[in-house]
Amino acid sequence: MITIDGSEGEGGGQMLRSSASLSLVTGQAFQITNIRGGREKPGMMRQHVTAIEAACAISDSTCEGLEVGTSEITFRPGTVKAGEYNFAVGTAGSANLVLQTILPPLLFADGPSHITLEGGTHNIGAPPYDFIERAFLPLINRMGPSVSAKLVRHGFYPRGGGKMEIDIQPAPLRRIDCLDRGELRSVIGTAIFAGLPYDIAEREVKTARNVLNWEEDAIAVRQLPEDQGPGNILLLEAEYDHVTEIVSGFGKFGIKAERLAKTAAMRMKGYMEGQAFAGPYLTDQLLLPFALAGGGSFTCVNPSQHARTGADIIARFTGRTFAFDQQEDGHFLVSLR
Amino acid sequence: MKPLTVIGFLGSTLDAGPFKAARWNKWRPSVSLTMHEDLRVDRFILIHSAQHHRLAELVIADIGSVSPETHVEPRIMELDDPWDFEEVYGKLLDFAQDYPFDPDKEDYLIHITTGTHVLQICLFLLTEARFLPGKLLQTQPAKKMEGAFPGRLNMIDLDLSRYDSLASRFAVQMAEGSSFLKSGIETRNSAFNTLIDEIEQVAGRSKAPILLTGPTGAGKSHLARRIYELKKRKHQVSGGFVEVNCATLRGDNAMAALFGHTKGAFTGAASERAGLLRTADKGMLFLDEIGELGADEQAMILRAIEEKRFLPVGADKESVSDFQLIAGTNKDLHAAVTEGSFRDDLLARLNLWTFSLPGLADRKEDIEPNLDYELDRFAEREGSRVTFNKEARQKYLDFANSKTASWSGNFRDLAASVTRMATLSPAGRIGRDIVEQEITKLERLWHGGKAETKDDLGGLLSEGTLRELDPFDRVQLAEVISVCRNSKSMSDAGRTLFASSRQRRKSSNDADRLKKYLARFGLSWAEIVTIA
Repeated sequence: MITIDGSEGEGGGQMLRSSASLSLVTGQAFQITNIRGGREKPGMMRQHVTAIEAACAISDSTCEGLEVGTSEITFRPGTVKAGEYNFAVGTAGSANLVLQTILPPLLFADGPSHITLEGGTHNIGAPPYDFIERAFLPLINRMGPSVSAKLVRHGFYPRGGGKMEIDIQPAPLRRIDCLDRGELRSVIGTAIFAGLPYDIAEREVKTARNVLNWEEDAIAVRQLPEDQGPGNILLLEAEYDHVTEIVSGFGKFGIKAERLAKTAAMRMKGYMEGQAFAGPYLTDQLLLPFALAGGGSFTCVNPSQHARTGADIIARFTGRTFAFDQQEDGHFLVSLR
Repeated sequence: MKPLTVIGFLGSTLDAGPFKAARWNKWRPSVSLTMHEDLRVDRFILIHSAQHHRLAELVIADIGSVSPETHVEPRIMELDDPWDFEEVYGKLLDFAQDYPFDPDKEDYLIHITTGTHVLQICLFLLTEARFLPGKLLQTQPAKKMEGAFPGRLNMIDLDLSRYDSLASRFAVQMAEGSSFLKSGIETRNSAFNTLIDEIEQVAGRSKAPILLTGPTGAGKSHLARRIYELKKRKHQVSGGFVEVNCATLRGDNAMAALFGHTKGAFTGAASERAGLLRTADKGMLFLDEIGELGADEQAMILRAIEEKRFLPVGADKESVSDFQLIAGTNKDLHAAVTEGSFRDDLLARLNLWTFSLPGLADRKEDIEPNLDYELDRFAEREGSRVTFNKEARQKYLDFANSKTASWSGNFRDLAASVTRMATLSPAGRIGRDIVEQEITKLERLWHGGKAETKDDLGGLLSEGTLRELDPFDRVQLAEVISVCRNSKSMSDAGRTLFASSRQRRKSSNDADRLKKYLARFGLSWAEIVTIA
């Protein structure tokens, strides 16, 4: 039994999700105590319970103590079963975070799976759907499996109501090395909005274009049917030969369109000026599949505390540690020891 | 954790919004309460009128998208006037009584943010009365800086004992109430203190009759009055305190005194009389010595307690009076029921809260505080304070606590004793001589004028038999037994005891005469001689 102190490191929610994924793949039970200790509202929140429930649903795992507010659970993994699954996620959680939990075990399942996820697809605090589809999944597919995603409907906070479908064709994960991003192929941006005034999106486009110096028609406005709103997200996407980076800014009550657009554009600018393969989100997401592949390496901008905590959890389940070596150009080389 | 069910009304204003995206910019309590990350609502009973079904459908759909975990059960309740207290309370009570609550399997939250104020008040009342077995849920919009959602929520548990600071306040209040019942006397007898704490709780919560039992002078009447005053302070009674000793209600007058009479109801009834029950309306009636009440009066009283109505003498129409009854008795009412002198159904009504006040002899540790209390009362009454000198006080207390002091008249004896001593101490100082005189007086009072009461009857006869014994017989019996014990045989004792009559008679059977005398008390020669 692996015991984890949930108050150590950062990302209490990610610790829970990664632990459940790793437990299902490695077959090791775990107990996590002090869940989200030290937070204003400690213990498991609804979205965490939903993610762990999803992990139980795709296997015959049991989880003791699973309830909102609990500070301790014991998870005993069962056998992962490929199949058709449908999960509905409440407003505050993101459908993408549920996918993050169940995708790794389903990559190791004995057959293909079809997952329908309903809820938030573009939520603050989680990578948006577009990132999953065009930045993350292509790398998974490069490692062997074949995973495709389709967005049926956008789901924004607070309304939720989005829907996406994922098809998973498992294959053994092979190690890859992602040191070089290649040449820039294209840049594209979209200011998506629904049920909000048009000028919000327009101002975001204008601000981002000014910061990034992209061509006139590189960033477009996209209006969704009003019943999918209210919602707004600015997506900035840079496609290279070997990797695509997607940076986003979420429209939120009380935050000016110009401000969120400028923040997102500055982050994209920072990534494009560097040479590293993975941005911060991708760094977080790649550690687990790389560890399960048993090797591989990639370069990244600057590993966050979040990523280091993720690496610690991986080490607890796999016995393998990641090395974060700073390179002469300032980037880090992440490799599995 | 048990599944959580929220019960709440659809807010026809608060939960409403445009049927377009802009509704999401508004805080809608019924939707928002299902958006909290730390509150998982498994079931939501959403009550609304048929008129608002479109709004209900929208709200249900929106809850479905923000909280797929929540199963919403709409429920129609038609209120003709949601501001009419009687209607709203009645319909909610119907709901509460019909609903299959299962608090062992589910937790309940009663959402009181939506609905009219009357509705909120009724939900509160039903929750407080535990018809709705849950906590109250209060929601409010977020502060500006927090964004629109999901706002704040508060759970209020009306079980006040769960709040430490309130619990300690109630403990203080209860202590005050108990102390009030004891007239501020710091009693030390733990059985008595427990009894008073219990009476305090019952008096605060129950309107049912209270029966006070205990020997004469144990303080039944005084306690009844204090209970009344405590209830009056707590605004639980508004009328007066009416006290009557049933032993004084004998004959024809009794009915009229209790239940009143009309003008000309009987000879001498020159004017109408309300009667004691009517006078006690909304107040308290203390019927002391209730065991002395006649059969007809018992029947009328029973009906008056049960139905709050009775028929005055000579009247065609019943009178109504809502009074709280306290009854006092020094009799064993159960024995009276067996004998047939007291109605068993009346005793059953009175017997719900029976408190037995111990006599002073059974709580001797309380004599000292009561002594001080009586001195205070004397000072209040007479306007001059009287104190003991130290030696005198000790002497009095030694006597008061001794086995010789039977305190057969209980507090009445103590009060009288203090009054005598205080009155006889013109200088305001009770000295040794006054105490010595008083002790003699008390002994005479309790032992029929004989200071020395050391007869041996206690070892031969039961307490009860002794109490029934007239002092006349007691002295005689004691002398007979003393002679018996100094004699060689029953015949010998007989000769001594009947010495005079013996001389007058020719033949006599003194032993037989003695034997018959002893048999009257259930005693035999053998018993007397062996127990000695």
